[in-house]
Amino acid sequence: MIEVENLTKVFVDTPAVDDVTFFVPEGQVLGFLGPNGAGKTTAMRMLTTYLRPTAGTIRVADINADDDPVALRRNIGYLPENVPLYGEMRVDEYLRFRSDLEEIPHRHQGSRIDDVVDRCLLGDVRRQVIGTLSKGFRQRVGLAGALIHQPQVLILDEPTVGLDPNQIIRIQELLIELGRDHTVLLSTHILSEVEAVCDRVLIINKGRIVADGTPDGLRSRMAGRATIDVVFKNAPEDRALVALESLSGVLGVSAPGDGRFCLECDGEGEPQESIFRLAVENDWPILEMSPGKASLEDVFVRLTTDELADSAEEA
Amino acid sequence: MLKTLAILRRELIAYFSSPLAYMVLTGFLLLQGGIFYLVLAFLNNPMAQAMAPMEAFFGGTIFFWLFLLFVVPVITMRLIAEERKTGTLEILLTSPVTEAQVILGKFLAAWVFYTALWLPTALYVVILRRYSEIDFGPVLAGYLGVLLVGFLFLGVGTFASTLTSNHLIAAILAFVGLVALFAVPLVEQLLVSDSLFKAALGHMDLWAHMEDYAMGIVDTRHVVYEVSVGLLFLFLATRSLELKKGR
Repeated sequence: MIEVENLTKVFVDTPAVDDVTFFVPEGQVLGFLGPNGAGKTTAMRMLTTYLRPTAGTIRVADINADDDPVALRRNIGYLPENVPLYGEMRVDEYLRFRSDLEEIPHRHQGSRIDDVVDRCLLGDVRRQVIGTLSKGFRQRVGLAGALIHQPQVLILDEPTVGLDPNQIIRIQELLIELGRDHTVLLSTHILSEVEAVCDRVLIINKGRIVADGTPDGLRSRMAGRATIDVVFKNAPEDRALVALESLSGVLGVSAPGDGRFCLECDGEGEPQESIFRLAVENDWPILEMSPGKASLEDVFVRLTTDELADSAEEA
Repeated sequence: MLKTLAILRRELIAYFSSPLAYMVLTGFLLLQGGIFYLVLAFLNNPMAQAMAPMEAFFGGTIFFWLFLLFVVPVITMRLIAEERKTGTLEILLTSPVTEAQVILGKFLAAWVFYTALWLPTALYVVILRRYSEIDFGPVLAGYLGVLLVGFLFLGVGTFASTLTSNHLIAAILAFVGLVALFAVPLVEQLLVSDSLFKAALGHMDLWAHMEDYAMGIVDTRHVVYEVSVGLLFLFLATRSLELKKGR
């Protein structure tokens, strides 16, 4: 469980995190989403007590960060951005070192290490020197280190950045599994990751929370603005553009080429029907017609692009 | 305590898995061997002042100090600076470890390494034992002096390493600090009047301390000076780590 109230961090005189308040109940997987420089890492560093907030309170697992930072750290597993590791150590040496730091009694260390090695699929590289591992393995070693003491809360800063698609899928599977028995806060700017892994999303921009909700909920904020993709055969682009724009309920049309037209509609009525009639009238066979779904990408772009972010705040 | 030991052990792994450790060890032994030879050659001269060889080795030459002034910054430069540069400091300081435990573990590792540097010089004593009588008291006191001066110097070096993420800058800061500490008696000699200040500086003369140790005199005032100044710098290192960790 994570409770954050009025959290603010000011560097010199620019606020990196600006009066942020949120609550993550036990067992939730929360995605921290935002462009680079939005304040995600700064917020996470404050949650892990690595940075001291300028103002505000942080409670993790009912421990106030100001009262007992060491006790708070006992309850979190943290994977910093870029996964810093000691390159000269072997994987199991490193995990043993982490177990020592986390005060795991010696008689339990062996089984704890076996457990995280299994979970993070590190069996094959157990005795390898960390410096020789690929990025994907390093990421998993970092995760294994963060899990070694069975923390209640996991804080992961961009856990899939720099990985190839296969590795991303494998880490995401691991994250989904971890989400079953941990409270997880992860930051990312990969939107599909949020959709795949998170129960809830916080979109953060310029140090402020600009949206908070489930991935579905945020998508439906975009509803009322439906889009339709249609592909005609043999339609002259200029004529088709004009004709489509004149249909009722269509707000705008763009033509990316190859006979494809993207329509933005007001979401009322069924413009598909009039598109069909238009096609018949002009003898433009329809090769494809599909309703576009507002993606989280759209929400993200809208909320984190300046003028739109301002209007969202007002709303 | 266990966590301090874990940090110490990791640091030693780091020392001995880098070529730097072996370079320092080799260079140190070559040079010390050379000095030992020179000392013996000098003492074999019938005109020379009578002196125990190890006494001259520890307290008699500027070489002893030159080595320490160069070697200690090399030993301590990476302690915290490296962790800061690679970001592992973030892992260390977000696990349930206090800054003091981090500093202590790192410092002790440096001290262990420093002791390992000196260990082979015990062979000189074995060699001398074959050819002459040895009074072991002054030899042991000399080694105690080496450890105590090392304690003080490594403390300064550890502090310097907390100030930056650049090895070279950490080493230079440590070097400047050590030279300043070492140069105290030069300042003392420049002062004319017998002031309390001059007397205080007189007690900080490390060269004189080491001469005493090498003669077998373990003066508690010297011991207190080395230990307390060493601890002061370790305290400063801890504070510096607390203040500068996030940046």
